[in-house]
Amino acid sequence: MDYRAKVGLRFITRRRGSLIAASLAVAIAILVVQVNVVIFQGLYNAIVRDQINYRFGHVYITRQENFITKSDKMLVNWLERIPYVDAAAPRLDAVASINATGSGQTIRDYSVPVIGVDPVLDTKASTMYKTVGDGQYVSSRNSIVLGAIVARDLGNSHVGDSVKLKFKDRNGVDELRRFTVVGITETAGSVGLDNSVIMNIDTLREILGRPHETQSIMVKLNDPTKDQEVKDLFLRAFPTRSDNFKAQTIEESAETTLSGFRSGIALINLVGYFGMMSSAFAVVTIQMMQVTSKTREIGIMRAIGSRRKDILIIFIFQGMVIGAIGAGLGTIFGVSYTAYAKETHMTFQGSLALEVTYNWLGILQTDILAFLLAVVASIYPAYKATKLQPVEAMRFA
Amino acid sequence: MPDLVLEVRGVDKIYGEAETAIYALKNVSFSVKKGEFILIVGSSGSGKSTLLNMIGLLDRPTNGKVFIDGLDTSTLNDNQISSFRNSKLGFIFQFSNLLADLTVLENVVLPRRIQKTDTNAVEEAKLLLKTVGLESQMNKYSNKVSGGQAQRVAICRSLINKPTIVLADEPTGNLDSVSAETTVQLMKSLNRKLGHTFIVVTHDRQQFGDVDKVITIRDGKIIEDEITEIPTIT
Repeated sequence: MDYRAKVGLRFITRRRGSLIAASLAVAIAILVVQVNVVIFQGLYNAIVRDQINYRFGHVYITRQENFITKSDKMLVNWLERIPYVDAAAPRLDAVASINATGSGQTIRDYSVPVIGVDPVLDTKASTMYKTVGDGQYVSSRNSIVLGAIVARDLGNSHVGDSVKLKFKDRNGVDELRRFTVVGITETAGSVGLDNSVIMNIDTLREILGRPHETQSIMVKLNDPTKDQEVKDLFLRAFPTRSDNFKAQTIEESAETTLSGFRSGIALINLVGYFGMMSSAFAVVTIQMMQVTSKTREIGIMRAIGSRRKDILIIFIFQGMVIGAIGAGLGTIFGVSYTAYAKETHMTFQGSLALEVTYNWLGILQTDILAFLLAVVASIYPAYKATKLQPVEAMRFA
Repeated sequence: MPDLVLEVRGVDKIYGEAETAIYALKNVSFSVKKGEFILIVGSSGSGKSTLLNMIGLLDRPTNGKVFIDGLDTSTLNDNQISSFRNSKLGFIFQFSNLLADLTVLENVVLPRRIQKTDTNAVEEAKLLLKTVGLESQMNKYSNKVSGGQAQRVAICRSLINKPTIVLADEPTGNLDSVSAETTVQLMKSLNRKLGHTFIVVTHDRQQFGDVDKVITIRDGKIIEDEITEIPTIT
């Protein structure tokens, strides 16, 4: 081993307090970045996951400024012939005024979004049915599933209760219908359809006077990375100029929800990287203390022939050791925290389950950055060490 | 004069400027021949350590020149001075000044590592340590040996690169009388056996007995009439 590396290593390893403090500063900075990633990237991924599962699928097909008039069965069959497609399901959206009666009194009367679903296809393309905690998913033509918020607003409606919904059909004529509540759906973080009601798509079509019409088709893929390919295939088969279809990947369809969140993540990551900068200051401080405590040794080495460059290398090598140990420890801490979050199905504020993934490239990038910062943070103390005059340095007790 | 290893010519060392200027050394000149054992004596603050620092190229004179092996050292840049110190000069300090984070053996080998001439360095270092009776201590960290032993290690370190001149600054100043005597005898015997030139700064002239030359310095000046050549007892 080069004598400068050996001396640098001995200097730092024989002062364990300094080594531990400096390495921990680097490790904790990495951990802070990792915790941010686990929580906020996990939250972002969870929102994407739920938007896919509950609302849009991996590919979301609509018709620009209009309803889809082509047969939903034909479109679903066509889509399901693509090998990457697991399932596809049509949906129809509307708005209705809802009320329930309790003790002879009308409880609330307000507008709610109504989602019409195909009871069979929707359970294949969406996991919305799994969010029904009480009762069952939509089945018969007059059954309805209330979102948890709607049920609460209606004075805690239960399964078996009767609710009235007033629609306006395509001609603007009011249609009043009574439905039996068959289930209450509740999603973590209310990112599902908690503020909506779900009913049979054919019933909704009939009420709105839009037989065979569809608002959207959500497509679930078995390989989410093929979303662009499926989208392109669909638009080639059904060109926009003739059918006016619009196909979007999840990133496009949930853009409004996700774009703000992405900015938030960038800001949080920035905070994490500022934390990393403060760890660099800790390294500078500890290295300066190290130079001060080794002043006499620096003088001796200069006296017996070490050049300024050799002294510089010794302390920069120490920075490399601190950076390497800190990055190693930080990786262990960060991966352990990620594993803990994944295994315990960590939730955000006790509700939404985070979608935790191991981002090895991100971890590697953070480690490299932390390592480089530790090295850069050592340059100034190392430079100060080279400026010591042998005679002055050796007088230092 | 081919056997001259050191020539100090009209060296001044001035600290401060103008009316606050203090002469630490004033017009110091002398020369040393190869293989001589020289004492520089004087009271505390007389300038003897400053003079040693000039000879050891640890500090630069304000005026005058220092020639070592015929080379004008004022022409050397910082890196050349480092290399020159490493290959031509050996240092023994009052407090031994070993690196506490290295073992005894590693301390002795260090000048060779710096010189990047590692071949046989460990074997030569072990031989030197054996010569001074420290072969059993070579793997101890240098702060785990006694003051006298540390000073012997420092002597080995100063000799590992076979320097032209060994410079010792109060080498016995921090030792008890027995260790001091051992150190003095060791330096003198190495001088005789290996032929290295020794220049020793001390305030205790008696401790060193017979030497080749004694240079007495007072208030930064060599007191000419006290330069004394004493025949070496063989």
